[in-house]
Amino acid sequence: MNGNGLNWMVLASAALVATGCATYPDPDTTRNLAEKMVGNSFSASPVHAKRLVQDRSQKICSKIGGAKLTREEAAEVVRLARASIKYPQDGRLVGDWKRGDQLAHNGAGDRIRRGKLEKRKENGALCQNCHALAPREINVGNVGPSLTGYGLQRGNSEAVARLTYERIYNAWAYTPCSNMPRLGATGHLTPEQITHMVAFLLDPASPINKK
Amino acid sequence: MQYSRAVSAMACLACLAVWDVASAQGTPENGLSVGRQMLQEDNPGELWIDRGKALFYQKRGPKNASLEQCDFGMGPGKLEGAAARLPRYFSDTDKVQDLETRLLTCMVQLQGFTHEELVKRAISPGGSSGSDVEALALYITSRSNGMKVNVTLQHQKEYDVYKAGEYLFFRRSGQTDFSCAQCHGEADKRIRLQDLIHMTSKKGAQEVASTWPAYRGAHYVVRTMQWRLNDCIWQMRLPDLKYGSDVSIALTLFLNHEGNGAEIRVPGFKR
Repeated sequence: MNGNGLNWMVLASAALVATGCATYPDPDTTRNLAEKMVGNSFSASPVHAKRLVQDRSQKICSKIGGAKLTREEAAEVVRLARASIKYPQDGRLVGDWKRGDQLAHNGAGDRIRRGKLEKRKENGALCQNCHALAPREINVGNVGPSLTGYGLQRGNSEAVARLTYERIYNAWAYTPCSNMPRLGATGHLTPEQITHMVAFLLDPASPINKK
Repeated sequence: MQYSRAVSAMACLACLAVWDVASAQGTPENGLSVGRQMLQEDNPGELWIDRGKALFYQKRGPKNASLEQCDFGMGPGKLEGAAARLPRYFSDTDKVQDLETRLLTCMVQLQGFTHEELVKRAISPGGSSGSDVEALALYITSRSNGMKVNVTLQHQKEYDVYKAGEYLFFRRSGQTDFSCAQCHGEADKRIRLQDLIHMTSKKGAQEVASTWPAYRGAHYVVRTMQWRLNDCIWQMRLPDLKYGSDVSIALTLFLNHEGNGAEIRVPGFKR
């Protein structure tokens, strides 16, 4: 991004010479204009329009060019993420791996087309889009790390179950601003659904942990 | 019997040929790109060019006029190379416009169509014969085929919108916490088996800037950049992005500018 910054400066000064005044706006002007655009570019009910409003963590995690977080910013994102995590009422963090398997392969739910919400019985967990799952499963993405053998590598102790639950509920508690959606914290998945995902990752009978 | 044996032997050879090319390129996914390459050579989107051309010169709309006087930035009726420089600032509308919003301006002003009606039909249903706007956008862009994308920033509004586009590319929101960068900020990534363009690289931005409108195999129809953005926003679980919205133009200006130097080849072919 440094190289680009330099290019901009060269370009900007060239433009100054060429046109007399037109040049790159400062960051505040850019933010104001872009946020105004967000305000006028979507047709949305008041409820759906809330999805466009950034929370504090999203603002911190929207650095142009993926610039690094400061130590303070990273700490704030982690703190907010930790505070967001809610646990299932019965306290059991490991649910049904078969339901987790279905959810992992479900990418639907809660999309909006022509003002209509795609309402399913439940939202899919979206895992297959970005993560390798069972061995030799081909139709999987690679935006996130492979989850093949997740439980084999880590065991299924209570500590591992807790860590896994928290990472799915809010990945930013451990990796601030990672690409992974904060699936529990944003309300995309329920705590109960996340217990099924934990089981899918940890249960020795799950396809994830087969050779 | 002998005949069928010969046929299956030939089929087998064909398979081997495809397999050979795929393995020569090294990775398993490239088997898919070979398939895409084969389809691209016989791109059904070509058919939309003639349709767009006919629509462009035909007298249509309440004012019974053609689009021959439409100014895409190179002067009225001058289409050669016009798409290669879009989006750009237009003084008559005092706006930065992309190809599609400029086309709509002309269809309203010259032909007398209403903006609302045009927007409603601009993106056609999958499997349909496509919309007028889709065919026109392809024809007009095809008049820049073989030329290089050359988006320049001159007017202050072009600088402003470009920087807003960059800001928006990285703006995370919604229940998936996505901006464009989560899927398009790294090389060699896929959503399931679908390759993702690495748009923060020169090569990736050039692919974006030079391949739309494109024939979308899964929809059997030509799709435009406005459609592409709208559909991404849908997957991100954000509300409906308006056709021709400021956000869409800012993102297109940002990406096309980053893609400068790419040779335009439309219709592109997408899965």
